[in-house]
Amino acid sequence: MVILGALLLVGVAVVLILHPILSGREAPLESAGEEPSEAQFRKRISLLQLRDAEYEHAMGKLGEEDFQALRKEISAEALAAIRAEEAEARGAVPALGHADGGGRGEDAALEEEIGRVRARLKGGVFCSECGHPNGPGSRFCSECGSPLQSPRPSTTS
Amino acid sequence: MTALGEFALWIALPISFWGMAMGFVGGHQKRGDLVLSAERSVYIVFALLTVASLGIVNAFLTDQFQYWYVAGYSNRDLDIFFKLSGLWAGQRGSLVFWAVLLAFFAALTVFQNRKRNRDFMPYVVGVLQGILGFFLVVLLFAGVNPFEQLGFVPADGQGLNPQLQNYWMTIHPPVLYLGFTAFSIPFAFAMAALLNGRLDSRWIVVTRRWTLVSWFFLTNGIIFGMRWAYEELGWGGYWFWDPVENASLLPWLTATAFLHSIMIQENRGMLKVWNMSLVLLTFLLTIFATFLTRSGLIESVHSFAQNTGIAFIFLAFMGSIFVAAVILILYRLPALRSENQIESFVSREAAFLLNNLVLLGAAFAILWGTIFPLVSEAFTGQPIAVGPPFFNRVNIPIGLVLLALTGIGPVIAWRRATGRNLKRNFALPVGIGVAVSGAIFLLGARNGYALATFGISAFVLTTIAVEFWKGTRARARIEGEGFFAAFAHLVGRNRRRWGGYIVHAGVVLVFAAFAGRAFEVEVRKALNPGETVSVASPFGHTYTLTYEGMSSSLEANFDRWVALLSVQRNGASVGSMVTERRFYRVNRQMVTEVGIRSTPVEDLYVILADVEDFEGIVANDPAAQRIVVQVMVNPLVGWIWYGGVIITIGSLIALWPTAEVARRRGVVAGKADAGSLAGAAPA
Repeated sequence: MVILGALLLVGVAVVLILHPILSGREAPLESAGEEPSEAQFRKRISLLQLRDAEYEHAMGKLGEEDFQALRKEISAEALAAIRAEEAEARGAVPALGHADGGGRGEDAALEEEIGRVRARLKGGVFCSECGHPNGPGSRFCSECGSPLQSPRPSTTS
Repeated sequence: MTALGEFALWIALPISFWGMAMGFVGGHQKRGDLVLSAERSVYIVFALLTVASLGIVNAFLTDQFQYWYVAGYSNRDLDIFFKLSGLWAGQRGSLVFWAVLLAFFAALTVFQNRKRNRDFMPYVVGVLQGILGFFLVVLLFAGVNPFEQLGFVPADGQGLNPQLQNYWMTIHPPVLYLGFTAFSIPFAFAMAALLNGRLDSRWIVVTRRWTLVSWFFLTNGIIFGMRWAYEELGWGGYWFWDPVENASLLPWLTATAFLHSIMIQENRGMLKVWNMSLVLLTFLLTIFATFLTRSGLIESVHSFAQNTGIAFIFLAFMGSIFVAAVILILYRLPALRSENQIESFVSREAAFLLNNLVLLGAAFAILWGTIFPLVSEAFTGQPIAVGPPFFNRVNIPIGLVLLALTGIGPVIAWRRATGRNLKRNFALPVGIGVAVSGAIFLLGARNGYALATFGISAFVLTTIAVEFWKGTRARARIEGEGFFAAFAHLVGRNRRRWGGYIVHAGVVLVFAAFAGRAFEVEVRKALNPGETVSVASPFGHTYTLTYEGMSSSLEANFDRWVALLSVQRNGASVGSMVTERRFYRVNRQMVTEVGIRSTPVEDLYVILADVEDFEGIVANDPAAQRIVVQVMVNPLVGWIWYGGVIITIGSLIALWPTAEVARRRGVVAGKADAGSLAGAAPA
């Protein structure tokens, strides 16, 4: 009984292992084009950093000056990553499944979120020092007295 | 069935070597057929190791004492729960158990990556099969075959060590082994990245989850071990800096460091060589942990020296891995250059780096303290002791720095923190920390380390609470949501971060529990029935225990003598406790079972220290009931277990897959809309 079981185990194992070599069946050596490239990865990281910075500013964790300086740096990195990604797309053969209409990726959702946070911060609605919401047109926060950022000419869509 | 199990091991060995060869060759030559063969070999080795494991379990359940391993760790009357866990009761079965868990994770990895990470997988398979092959070689050629037979069939086995007949000691090894073996996956991907030259952040992203899974099991495994020690060893403590304990702590320390430093690589493209080295070090420490605890080295240096086969194989394996990995890292050094630099010593990057240095420092100190006595005794023959005083002196200050960093790291700004930023974010937590320390001092506490721990704990908990509060409020206002919805979405959108905060909160509780030891109270007294012993809790109330008497009984596996004590707290009755002595007949061992009465702030811990007249008690002689008890109050010890639960919850939140991950699997990232970034381009 044991010998029979053992022979069965050996037989099945050997067949399964040798079958690919004998029949020529192959495991894929390349992924199906869904892997984000390094540039795409860097872009996503930059967007996440931007989102976190916007929230930390909205939370009152990051002051106005610190936030602006950080935002400038991260945005520059994100733009560089986007340019690298575009260069990749121009130079590379389009991979399978890389359709433009493939649905909204996370990146678009992130950008939307960043836009939403920005919009709320604009017009002095939301105090970046203590987080208290103020009426539009306010110049000082009614909760903590800090000056609110004055509305800038809109440069974002 | 059992015989088939042994055969399965023998078949698995050549197949794992085949898989290793096919993985490396197929990856290098870009031969998909060889790679497919290698990946199938992983499933086969897993199936074979499962057969081997079931064979051992079957041998325990059917009392097959002709097997040396079963006879050594079981007996007929052993509770079935402990027979089932016989697989990991001793060295030989443990090695099989380790191998089958590793094979399970390897098979899972191969399955998950059928269509993904294809440029890594051939080498990942090669590495994992190499590790499995190593364990099979040890099992079959180092004199530790669990299927070795005695040549006769004993009437009964020798039984399981009574101290292992405890729930916590049954689940502690499996959980810990899950942690050790899971870390082989990040290691395999790191080696694959070195081999295929894909040294961008992808190997980190792919293995982040596995690292957290490993860490999760390691943490729980260590805490279960502490619970066992607390309940079973009966000294009121839970950690003794024992070599076996230290062996499990070492990879935990480096894995914790790695979990944090990968965030730096992801965010800032720094510490690439450091991360490669940490993965290598952590993996080697997991193998070292097996080596230390299951090679006989700890029982006695001299008995170990008689089994040099296993030592040679382990050291050769660790040495080859180390040499190969170092060569690969040096070869790939140009591609591992940092993309950025640390701009300021006052920044999140610097805080994370300090966290890493501190954790590594503790690991090296503990490693040194653990192996130095062994090395010294091997050469000089003189045993020397490196015990708790050394380890505590080194690790308590390190622990305090680490605790402080858990509050600083998440809050301090990336890149550079200005004075404004520091004042804004740390003024309140520091104030609260100092206030709490001061309040405890005023209440009479004088232990410096304990005061520092409580103060820093309050500091950290404040930073965490403020993060949650401010984050939820910001989200609520931005998204126009209610408070609870905002909280749920906040955590859901960034589970790693907020799960991490919850883990930190759990860690703080555990540290506070450690500080509670500074306020332990202990009383030892001889009692006749009716007499009382009192002990004052540092929280101000007094426990009075009245010794009611002894009873005795015969159980299936042991004889027991039970002391019953009724408990009063400030004069009011709060129930009763028992503490007992047990004589395990088959093992001929006497052990003490302590009594524990837990409240959220303290444990009342009773040890039956001495029984004068066992036979008199069995004979129900009223004059023979005199005992000696040791009564302890252990403040805050429960916070270790509660902290462990909170750490578990936080880890699960951090691990939980998000809808985005699932979406990303089928969708390529949409084209960027530069609109949201306009207005920020450099002038």
